[in-house]
Amino acid sequence: MASQPVLHAEKLAKRVTSGERTLTILHDLSLSVAAGESVAILGKSGAGKSTLLGLLAGLDTPSDGELTLFGHALSRLDEDGRAALRAGRVGFVFQNFQLLPTLSALENVLLPLELSPRAGEARTAEQWLERVGLGERTSHQPKQLSGGEQQRVAIARAFVTDPELVFADEPTGNLDPDTGAQIIDLLFTLNHEAGTTLILVTHDHALARRCDRCLRLTNGQLEAFDPAPASSEEGDE
Amino acid sequence: MSDINWRLAARSLKRDLRAADVRALFVALVLAVAASTMIAFFLDRLERGLERQAGQMLGGDLVLEQRDPFSEELRNTLEQAGFTLSDQVDLVSMISQGERFQPASLKAVDDIYPHYGVSHVDRGNGVEQIASGPPAGEAWADPRLAELIEIEIGDRVQVGQTELTISGIIEREADQSAGFGNFNPRLMLNTADLEATGLVQPGSRIEFELLAAGPPAALEQVQGLLAQLRRDGVEVRDVRVDRPQLGNALQRAESYLGLAGLAAVLLAGVAVAMSTRRYVERHLDTAALLRCFGASQYQLVTIFSLQLIGLALMASILGALLGLVGQSLLLWLLTSFLPMTLPPPGIMPLWLGIFTALSVLVGFAGPTLLRIKQVSALKVLRRELDPLPPAAWLVVGVASIVFGGLLWLYSGSFPLALALLVGGSALLALLWGVSSLLLNGLLRAVQRLTGGGEWVQAFRLGGRQLARRKQAGLGQLLAFSVTFFAMAMIVLVRGDLLTTWQDQLPEDTPNYFAINIQPGERDAFEQAVAPRVDTQSTLYPMVRGRITEINGQAPRDAVPADARGDNSLRRELNLTWQSDLPEGNQVVAGQWFTPASEPQGWMSEVDATPSSDSETVPISVEDGLAERLGLGLGDEITFAVGSDSIITRIDSLRSLNWDSFNPNFFVIFPPGVLESFGHSFITAFHLPDEEQGLVRELVSDFPGVSLLNVDAILGQVRDVLTQVTRAVELVLILVLLAGVSVLYAALTASRPVRAHESGLLRVFGAGNRMISRVQGAEYALLGFASGLLGAVLAELATAALYLYWLDLTPRLHIGLWLTLPIGGALLIGVIGHALSYSLRRQAPAASLGLLGEA
Repeated sequence: MASQPVLHAEKLAKRVTSGERTLTILHDLSLSVAAGESVAILGKSGAGKSTLLGLLAGLDTPSDGELTLFGHALSRLDEDGRAALRAGRVGFVFQNFQLLPTLSALENVLLPLELSPRAGEARTAEQWLERVGLGERTSHQPKQLSGGEQQRVAIARAFVTDPELVFADEPTGNLDPDTGAQIIDLLFTLNHEAGTTLILVTHDHALARRCDRCLRLTNGQLEAFDPAPASSEEGDE
Repeated sequence: MSDINWRLAARSLKRDLRAADVRALFVALVLAVAASTMIAFFLDRLERGLERQAGQMLGGDLVLEQRDPFSEELRNTLEQAGFTLSDQVDLVSMISQGERFQPASLKAVDDIYPHYGVSHVDRGNGVEQIASGPPAGEAWADPRLAELIEIEIGDRVQVGQTELTISGIIEREADQSAGFGNFNPRLMLNTADLEATGLVQPGSRIEFELLAAGPPAALEQVQGLLAQLRRDGVEVRDVRVDRPQLGNALQRAESYLGLAGLAAVLLAGVAVAMSTRRYVERHLDTAALLRCFGASQYQLVTIFSLQLIGLALMASILGALLGLVGQSLLLWLLTSFLPMTLPPPGIMPLWLGIFTALSVLVGFAGPTLLRIKQVSALKVLRRELDPLPPAAWLVVGVASIVFGGLLWLYSGSFPLALALLVGGSALLALLWGVSSLLLNGLLRAVQRLTGGGEWVQAFRLGGRQLARRKQAGLGQLLAFSVTFFAMAMIVLVRGDLLTTWQDQLPEDTPNYFAINIQPGERDAFEQAVAPRVDTQSTLYPMVRGRITEINGQAPRDAVPADARGDNSLRRELNLTWQSDLPEGNQVVAGQWFTPASEPQGWMSEVDATPSSDSETVPISVEDGLAERLGLGLGDEITFAVGSDSIITRIDSLRSLNWDSFNPNFFVIFPPGVLESFGHSFITAFHLPDEEQGLVRELVSDFPGVSLLNVDAILGQVRDVLTQVTRAVELVLILVLLAGVSVLYAALTASRPVRAHESGLLRVFGAGNRMISRVQGAEYALLGFASGLLGAVLAELATAALYLYWLDLTPRLHIGLWLTLPIGGALLIGVIGHALSYSLRRQAPAASLGLLGEA
């Protein structure tokens, strides 16, 4: 790992105040992710996984600490600057798919492509839909697709801009085990082929094991973790 | 990048057209544009049509009149500016046939006459419409003249030193604008015969008229020249300035249409504000996702603004088309009143429509739309992270400012717009407080309802639902009140306008004027007329007098430069005397003559020596004339009556109703001054159809008395009123539609919340009927409160409008206080209930969002 890390977090902290009480969700958290690496972040429900993902992707700002994404210190960027940094370079896969209900599968995939400075063509989007096995259903709207198919569209959307970094937030959380397994295969295959850096948030140990590195979020901090096959269903929603 | 914005905006707009909120927004904008362009198109064409009609009545677009022939130089200048010229000469002369002599008003016209319109002439084959004057050697007489000297077609009459053949009886002249100034019967001849008559001599009383017809640009070009001519004492009538004023009825109708247009715009604005709220809420997820993919705040605002602007443009085009159709419908309704050929619609109203749509959008949707900018990308992970809605004061403030601007644009009066805006805002603030109290009170009352009936339970539950989201409920309450208010106001004003119009011209409005009744004939005439007519106005004595001095100066030097050619300075005025203020007159400044202010002195003194100029006589002057001549209270006017001079002082100014079909006078003297001068009487009466025989008797018994039949004019005015009424009703429908669009928008906006609530109720075991009743009850409560507030607003606003804009007397509308709350409860209850029908059919899992995407 001689090259510069894609993402580097130094002593991150996130506190929220509700009324008189201050709640510390993350503290003193450091993390470095190298290019091409796949990292799984495990944790129980309510451990702060989503909060951490939001911080790492620049969707939210930390209370303390410094975060560097693609060599840019996020604290020096405003909301728009962080958005511009993401454009075309970061892909997302969400638990609840987050497809726009009014757009067709193809249009959903085109969306990040159109916002990206390295704008591609509609053909690229079609090719990605073919790769996820939905070449025949480009004009279908999300509500006409099954959950698994919707997540495939979302995966095509995450990879269409040829991003350097993909965040996946519980990508199988809303799917049945069989479909989930197919989706995971697809995700890792595509990730492997494209050589993308992957940060995967999950509570599924089986899923985590497929990553290069596993980290567990407990008490607001990350620790190295070896998800043993026996404890695969630890932590539940 | 901008290319992407366009594409994204276009694509999602296309899909969004299916969403209820976007449809509501679209319908609201279409209605706003349709109403405003329809009214603007219509008023624009009406204005220009009236100008054309005025041109016809004046005899040209520009009419010059003086005592001497016009110079070649002036003719050349006018012709070069693009005018076609026509000459006309007016004079009074005795004409005769055999032993019968009669003074007649001669009007000599050239071969170009008339510039506009046609004359109605009977040349022996019934009445024909003829677009020319009599040829040389011939003359046309009016029916009265024919009767007085017993002439028929083909007879020859002596005019000055020549004889002319009567070739037609002229029923109506193409340019007949003559009032009662000229009581002699008409004889129309050709200018070619004028010289032969030998009547045109230096010093004889002749008016030379130059009638010019030309485009507005030509008129514009000669304005400088006209000002100079006015200063030289030439009487200048310019179609744009001197056109007959719109009657009160039509003027009020214009105000009403303007008001209705604004009401429609305001309603549309409210609908836009409500739909935008839902629109933005629906797009927050999209915005967050776009943010996640790297869209900037600016880009978000651009994409959604472009979408709404696209929507507004589509709505403008559709609205403008509807406006075009609507205005032709309006014109069709008014067609028998308006001149046949109206100028085509101009382009200006179209821009006005588009501008209106965009302004309404910016003003009523802008602040809400900006909320989309605030959305956090983190919302993709945490759904509950919605940006705060914009502060109510900001939304209302921006909307008020924009609406104020539109008010200014439409009314053309900044003070009026500002007053309405400030008043409206104060009222709105007050309304907010009052509606909060009202809603609280109402909800508390509902909670106290006892008894186990299903409806009672429904009202308790409905009331509780409303109480739970009081802020949203307040917003809706406010929107509904404003809607009911605007709708009610337009209905109320319409009703009162119609009543006023009907009162203005009751069945027994005078249809005959009798002029030139000699003092000796007065009693006999009165005895002949009184038993056979329905109504009769006072007999007014009439003395002819000329203004010779104003404040000791020659009148031409004392009045504003552009009034030097004014008719009142060039001709004799009809003066009368009255001890009481005539009906329909109102003193607007100074004091009417009171017995106390009539010192015995001047009365007796004047009686003794009418020519004495040591005493000034108090007089009352019509306010319009005073304004034209720059006169005010205390100014001294000297009149020449016969060979005497009377010095007078203006003691009061009167406004009078020129539409009243009663004799009206510019100048009224107190009794005791003019009696000794030669005078005649004038009166007006309504002769019922079955008594028409009286006319013939009066003509033979009182040959010197002129009878004018105004039935035709009266009928025309009545027609106008009927047609304007229909136009008003058409606009009313549009406003009501706009109101319904608000209700639709508001109820659509609140659907998701209600879906959630009915889902919960169902989970807890409520049946379909219960849910339906709870929703019905909630809507009905909202409707009742809104109706009550709407009634307060409407009553206050109509009172203010009547006082300051429409010139009507305010009155209390009791029906309103019953209709609005009950009607509101029913209307909102029924529409809301119907709109949420599909919600009640939903499984609770769907309405509660348990299936993921809600």
